[in-house]
Amino acid sequence: MSFVDSILAGLSLVGNFEAFLALFAGVAIGTIAGAIPGMSATMAVALTLPFTFSMQPIIAILLLLGVYKGGIFGGSIPAILIKTPGTPASSATVLDGYPLAEKGQAGKALGMALWASCTADLISNLALILFAGWLASFALNFGPPEFFTLILFSLTIIAGVSGASLLRGALSAMLGLLLATVGLDLVYGTNRFTFGDPSMMGGLNFIAVLIGLFAIPEVLAMVWDPKPHKGQTRSLGDNKVTFGEYKRCFKSIVRGSFIGVFLGSIPGIGAAPSAFLSYSEARRKSPNRDNFGKGELEGVAASEAGNNGVAGATLIPLLALGVPGDVITAIIIGAFMVHGLQPGPMMFILNVDIIYGLFIGLIVSSVFLFFIGSIAIRGFKYVADIPRGVLFPGVLVLCVYGVFAVNNNIFDVGVMFVMGWVGFLMMRNDIPAAPFLIAFILGPLLEDNFRQAMLMSGSSPAILFRGPITWFFWGLTVLTVIAIIRAGIRATRNLKRRA
Amino acid sequence: MKFAKFSAVSAMVIGLATAASAADYPERPINMVIPYGAGGATDISARTIAEPLGKAVGQSLIMANVTGAGGATGSVAVKNAKADGYTMLFARVGSHSVNPAMKATLPYTLDDFRFVTVYEINPFACAVEANSDINSMDDLIAKVAEGGVSYSSSGVGSGLHLAGAMVLDEFGVEDPLNAATHIPQKGGGAAVTAVLNGTATFLCTNSSALASFVANGQMKPLMVTTKEPVVGFDAPTAADLGKPALHQLVGWTGIAGPADISDEVAGKWGEWMAAAAGDEEFVSSMEARGSIIDVMSPEDANAFIQEQYNTFRALVDKLGMRIEG
Amino acid sequence: MQNLHRQTLIGLFAVVAGLFLMIVAIPNWVSSPSNVRNIILSPVFWPYTLSALTIVIGLGLTITGHFSSEDMSQEKAEIPGGYGRLAIMAVVMVIYMFGLPRLGMVWTSMLAFVTTAFLVRTSHPKTALICAICVPLVLYVFFAHIASVAIPQGNFVRLP
Repeated sequence: MSFVDSILAGLSLVGNFEAFLALFAGVAIGTIAGAIPGMSATMAVALTLPFTFSMQPIIAILLLLGVYKGGIFGGSIPAILIKTPGTPASSATVLDGYPLAEKGQAGKALGMALWASCTADLISNLALILFAGWLASFALNFGPPEFFTLILFSLTIIAGVSGASLLRGALSAMLGLLLATVGLDLVYGTNRFTFGDPSMMGGLNFIAVLIGLFAIPEVLAMVWDPKPHKGQTRSLGDNKVTFGEYKRCFKSIVRGSFIGVFLGSIPGIGAAPSAFLSYSEARRKSPNRDNFGKGELEGVAASEAGNNGVAGATLIPLLALGVPGDVITAIIIGAFMVHGLQPGPMMFILNVDIIYGLFIGLIVSSVFLFFIGSIAIRGFKYVADIPRGVLFPGVLVLCVYGVFAVNNNIFDVGVMFVMGWVGFLMMRNDIPAAPFLIAFILGPLLEDNFRQAMLMSGSSPAILFRGPITWFFWGLTVLTVIAIIRAGIRATRNLKRRA
Repeated sequence: MKFAKFSAVSAMVIGLATAASAADYPERPINMVIPYGAGGATDISARTIAEPLGKAVGQSLIMANVTGAGGATGSVAVKNAKADGYTMLFARVGSHSVNPAMKATLPYTLDDFRFVTVYEINPFACAVEANSDINSMDDLIAKVAEGGVSYSSSGVGSGLHLAGAMVLDEFGVEDPLNAATHIPQKGGGAAVTAVLNGTATFLCTNSSALASFVANGQMKPLMVTTKEPVVGFDAPTAADLGKPALHQLVGWTGIAGPADISDEVAGKWGEWMAAAAGDEEFVSSMEARGSIIDVMSPEDANAFIQEQYNTFRALVDKLGMRIEG
Repeated sequence: MQNLHRQTLIGLFAVVAGLFLMIVAIPNWVSSPSNVRNIILSPVFWPYTLSALTIVIGLGLTITGHFSSEDMSQEKAEIPGGYGRLAIMAVVMVIYMFGLPRLGMVWTSMLAFVTTAFLVRTSHPKTALICAICVPLVLYVFFAHIASVAIPQGNFVRLP
């Protein structure tokens, strides 16, 4: 079957009102669900799944993909407005999005998030269509040693989000790494810091830690000092992102999209590290470097491009190998199987119409995302008008509901509260929270892959240098570390000269 | 401690109150705890049966994923719930026969639960990557003797972990824990990926988890653990290979409540399950994924799980696999 | 040494925390099986590595803090009643946790909303009161009936 025939076959499958309606509904559901903290994209997809059992396969899958894409974008709305990332993927968006909202430029931040998301989404979808086979076979080269070096390199992001002091950032990261060791040991299954509590055995819930670290300290700071904000509301500000601003950030958006595509096509990493990596790369390359973390539009653009760039690319291992890239695609694979479809190389031969139908649907979904996103921004902007004395208690209650809903476990609410106090103490002492979070995500991956590699090789460290991929990341890590040290020395010198 | 007493007493009071009104059961929605993550085999199985089961129950079923620690977090949540039949658990081979057999520190035992049914049986299959030069179980065993063979699992104390060791042991490998390396992964999907990308040599897991990879020619099945061949798996059965002991190695999904649920409640579940499992759509969609629908009565379910547990426990003790720390 | 820099204090804290982990926490609360073949595969290897790094970073902070001229107290350190309000907030959180399984999420949230609004000295007390009743109810309806989450109902008053 030629390419044109395949496209026509796909078109005949999705070229009907029902398919587009499903896609549209999916994006809308996802955006709303993503915008509610705790209702992550994962949950929204899981909840939609049972409804799709009775649908036609292509419509069911388009609906789920719509929810997924909408959810990843929707998460940025509360991240910007109330410093509570709706999904883990949008935690990098908080770094610059919330300061922008504080300055009364929430509209701009949301607008840029939408533009960046849609651009990245489009790039990601195109990458899926054009390079699926190639990227998938590349991803299969990633065993534990390659993962280990990739994660090690990713940890250098910490330097990019540490703010004023690299050492304080490193300390924050250490706390995150240590906290991530709570739970059952991977290799021996023994308890680490669990105190025999079954809830601790599963490790600390990521979303509980995330919301505790970002949202609750804001509430506590308000309790600590209610005066400066008394009765104050923020305006949404100029709701438009100018084309000039988009053009200025375009480079970062494209870079972020490719980072997303790359990390998304490798199973097991997910959108949050990608967003952070994109953010720190944008900061490193940007002339406005010093403004990052204080409300830089480019930071929002980079993070959102990083996480939406993953959305299309996670379908690469799913479709080409039948391997889920993250939790969400694991659920979507379930949907494929319920309908008797078996994703993998054979699907490109047996169900070529469905594959191309999906491709067409994905491209359309980027457009839908743009329209629904614009409407959502307009709808949610009223959040910015709520007086803070009412907003913050509301945020507290919302977080409790959301964190409970993630795993139906009251223990997680406790984790969130405790992390809130930790976050508040860190905030008071100018210790940045972002490195903590990155380390908390990457720490277990680093350790697990290290130990898996050691199991593979019978504890010989030589395996960490096998093949060109490991060498590439070792090189990248060394270069980045040198650059960080040099920048650090330069900064101290400048400080002394000024003093 | 006061606190624990208080909740125990209040649980008893409420337990008594509801026991009196067992005839009205269920008068409100029932919480169904799924101790594994969304999209996993247990989750899909549970959500597929929820539809016909909800009709049979006449109340809505609220599905709640409580994940963590290989199913332990969710299981404990149900163990500690009021035994009024309004909190039930989707129990699985990993959480309720492998885990109790392997983990000394597990915060629950089989006695903490009362099974009302086992409704799904899922054969295990062992497979290697398609391009591997291993073509049969004999090849695999010969390779183990040479050294350097590893198997992946979804984690320590998971069904996959035990299955790998049990299969090697049955095929006469001396000291299977050291002869082959166990490389634990996080989750079943990652375990399959590890074999695909060459991190591990083989794995033994639910046939449903392997079906699509076998159909796509990415993986080569070496054997299935059932008596009858499994559709789509071009591999000998354990019976063909003369290893009937491996028939015990099957996955299952069942429903359990806290140990003290009343006979009325258990009886009602028996009726509902019989009705739900008759649903054609349910049966066909489960069978499409390689499962066998076999609704057991509460007594049969308990006996079945006990027998599997005892087999596993004996193996664990023999090989010294028990996790004490 | 009359006035230690904030960063030095943070550094000292990190050193103490690292030592505590190495000497007390890891030996006691991380169990390592006896049959570990290689030290780098042991469950305690990674926590020990992290503790050691924490101590190194702590020392770094202590030393740089000593020479640092960075002003880390831009914010007002003392706010009248600040500590008192924080203490009340901590108590509210403890009661919240205690009340969730017993009173139910909706009723506890209403109480928490009112207290928090009072603590932040809201300038719109009437709106806050209305929201305190509506927000938990609306969230309950959404999570329980649309997202079908089993929101804790408590032992006293059940919502449909």
